[in-house]
Amino acid sequence: MIGALKDFTDRILGRGHAAITVPPFDGALRPNQILEHAEIAAEFAQPNDLASHGGVLYVADGTNLLRLAADAPQPVRRFDREVTALCALPDGRLAVALDGCEIRIVASNGSDDQDVVIGGAGMTAVNALAPAPSGTLLATDGSSEHPPARWVHDLMSRGATGRLLSIDIDAKQVRVLASGLHHAFGVAAMGDGALVSESWRHRMLSFAATGTPRAPLEHLPVYPSRLCPAAGGGYWLTAFIGRTQLVEFVLRENGYRRRMMAEIDPEFWIAPRLSSGHSFREPMQGAHLKTMGIIKPWAPPRSYGLVIRLNADCSPRYALHSRVDGNNHGVVAVAELGDALYVLAKGAGRLLRLSSTAIEAEFGV
Amino acid sequence: MTENVVEFRKATKLYAGVPAIDGVDFQLRRGEIHALVGENGAGKSTLSKALAGVVTLTSGQLFIDGAAVLPKTPLEARHLGVAMVFQENSLVPTMTVAQNLFLGQEHFYNRLRGIYIAAQQFLQSLNFDVPPTATVSLLGAAKKQMVEIARAVLHQAKVIIFDEPTATLTPEEKAYFFDLVRDLKKRGVSVVFISHALEEALLLADRITVLRDGKHVVTDDVANFDRAKIVQAMVGRDLSNTLYGKRKTTVRRPGERVLSVQNLKMAPMVKNNSLSVFAGQITGVFGLVGSGRTETFKIVAGVLKRDFFHGGEILLKGKPVRYRVPAPAVQAGVAYVTEDRKVEGFFETMSIARNIYLGLLSKFPRGRFFLSAGEAQQTGDDWISRLKVRAISPKAKVVELSGGNQQKVVIAKSLTQEPDLIVFDEPTRGVDVGAIVEIHELINRLADEGKAVVVISSYLPEILALSDRILVSRQGKVVEEFSALDATEEKIMYAAIH
Repeated sequence: MIGALKDFTDRILGRGHAAITVPPFDGALRPNQILEHAEIAAEFAQPNDLASHGGVLYVADGTNLLRLAADAPQPVRRFDREVTALCALPDGRLAVALDGCEIRIVASNGSDDQDVVIGGAGMTAVNALAPAPSGTLLATDGSSEHPPARWVHDLMSRGATGRLLSIDIDAKQVRVLASGLHHAFGVAAMGDGALVSESWRHRMLSFAATGTPRAPLEHLPVYPSRLCPAAGGGYWLTAFIGRTQLVEFVLRENGYRRRMMAEIDPEFWIAPRLSSGHSFREPMQGAHLKTMGIIKPWAPPRSYGLVIRLNADCSPRYALHSRVDGNNHGVVAVAELGDALYVLAKGAGRLLRLSSTAIEAEFGV
Repeated sequence: MTENVVEFRKATKLYAGVPAIDGVDFQLRRGEIHALVGENGAGKSTLSKALAGVVTLTSGQLFIDGAAVLPKTPLEARHLGVAMVFQENSLVPTMTVAQNLFLGQEHFYNRLRGIYIAAQQFLQSLNFDVPPTATVSLLGAAKKQMVEIARAVLHQAKVIIFDEPTATLTPEEKAYFFDLVRDLKKRGVSVVFISHALEEALLLADRITVLRDGKHVVTDDVANFDRAKIVQAMVGRDLSNTLYGKRKTTVRRPGERVLSVQNLKMAPMVKNNSLSVFAGQITGVFGLVGSGRTETFKIVAGVLKRDFFHGGEILLKGKPVRYRVPAPAVQAGVAYVTEDRKVEGFFETMSIARNIYLGLLSKFPRGRFFLSAGEAQQTGDDWISRLKVRAISPKAKVVELSGGNQQKVVIAKSLTQEPDLIVFDEPTRGVDVGAIVEIHELINRLADEGKAVVVISSYLPEILALSDRILVSRQGKVVEEFSALDATEEKIMYAAIH
């Protein structure tokens, strides 16, 4: 009763969970244009995920699995469904998620002789995979209701059906480590536990082998996505979209949102996108206006590009940005290969390459 | 008739021996709009107030229409044809427009209808669309400004001084105000226009005078200025001044995010302001007067309240907080060292020890039933020695101390509360040079100990010398962030103005 009353007053006064607020990009998240000015290593039609192993970079592009050799993408294998997640296992094999509902372990040379197929367990939107030290595979299932391509539907319906899965490859058994997550999208091993991006709650959750999960990083101004361990310790965290007050407002207005979802083409919803600026019918957001033909760089973004370098304790160290007037938006994956840092900007269909040494020098680390 | 309606020669005004303006020469021509620009404390307001009879010059001469004058009161200045429109307008809010217009000119018997008719005719002659019967408190900022202007014209002012007239106006109101000022010029009225908004000065003025540190820097026609030239003139102080030390070559790494302010609103000063403060770092906050920086941190400390509806969020160590009074903020580890120590900082007739002890007492949620004179004495002794407060004894009254030592007492009051987040608002305003160095050392020490420290200052060298990261506030919100390593005075000032 008291909770319901508080909810009601919060809605009226715009406080608590009903506060329409977005944290600022400041401190370690101070904006720059490093990601926007990064070298374009390759371009793809439908890139989804990256993985690296043994000096080779693998790219999931639509139904294709590619390897980047001598800067030119070489086909490794073609699947019958879209590859929605990819990771390299310590033994050199690759784990791929197909259409979000099946995980397949394949040889890195592309042969299909030794495929291990793991399905069922209600998998709907497997969007990230990571090897765990125990020899198992960690996976995030973003939603039990919407496939990966319909992530914006999950956001607009305030989905909270994400799961963290642990998969025993040999036994082909799937164990649910956590459920009820607000769109889990990204996982990495953390000690004997796991570190997970909970996108719609704008936070990272760490799951230890025992005990309750905790949030080592929260109140992000973006929706976090996949992450990968960094060579120098800590993690690289990607953010596929940014938060705005307008979207926060729409997320609070249930009636408006339901009508919008029923009547408007999803392309033109007041919702974040992986890329923007393709149609004059896209909703303008706040100051997202052109002045003298130039989009103001500080305007609230409909799409955004961000990679955050995290310390081992998940505190942000620095961030690489492609701001509202840029193109390298919708960053969904990152991988290190020697000194090179590869960043996949899905919104622009670009694979970007940066020098880790140069980045560290830029930030005086 | 001389070309200059107003002329200052070697105008100097000392406050407690410190010059607010120092040997300033200034000429205002007949029928010109003259912009006065400069940083906070540059002496713009003092010069204007000397002209308007609010303060009297310590030395130097003032000529109006070629005659040497020395107005000692605003009434004397008004008789000389000088009127000043203050930033905070001086209208009586509960009276009508007409009553405000004729305030001070009442006769023994006043017929209200006659006043309304006279006011109506006068306002129409100025082409001001303001109903004379309206209560002033119900008018918008622009209309209030019109009443102020009308009052100045009614008093047959030949010189009108506007102090930050556009600070509270909307863009449409500003445009209308500019038309009014141009209309005044056509009527032969000379206008002194004080503004931090350089683009307004460039747009409106015929000539611009830049003051810096109480001294005249340059006066020239507006055509010979651009923004960069004005900014350079405003901040181009002697950077070899070693009081604030050399530029930083390293900055402290941020620790935990102690404070996150998200979309904070308090009309009309704080507008959707967002910022973060981290442990183990000094976050400098720069902004011109009216930029909302002090108000933002006063809301954090529970001194002011944010807007009731959709006022934004404040997260202290990740937890949402909303303080209605300062006491719970103090208990939660937030300390705010006020910029106005004489009014808000201490009880001046109480002893140093008791003032500091009061700071300690506010840490207790339910207060103390018994107070210990011994504990007060010990606390006072302890902090007096730690902060090197120079006083005859801990029992000395705070009013007897110098500005620097008074400031140390205010800081000691806050530090007794063992805060995690401490906000210094203008920590060295009115403080002597020796105390400035000691206060800066103290602030650095607090950051080294891992405290989250915020320094609000209008003085750029102080911000640059102390801060690890610098936030620039403008028009109620933080608009730019710099690392201390790549910030310059010009960059900061540019962000604060544009």
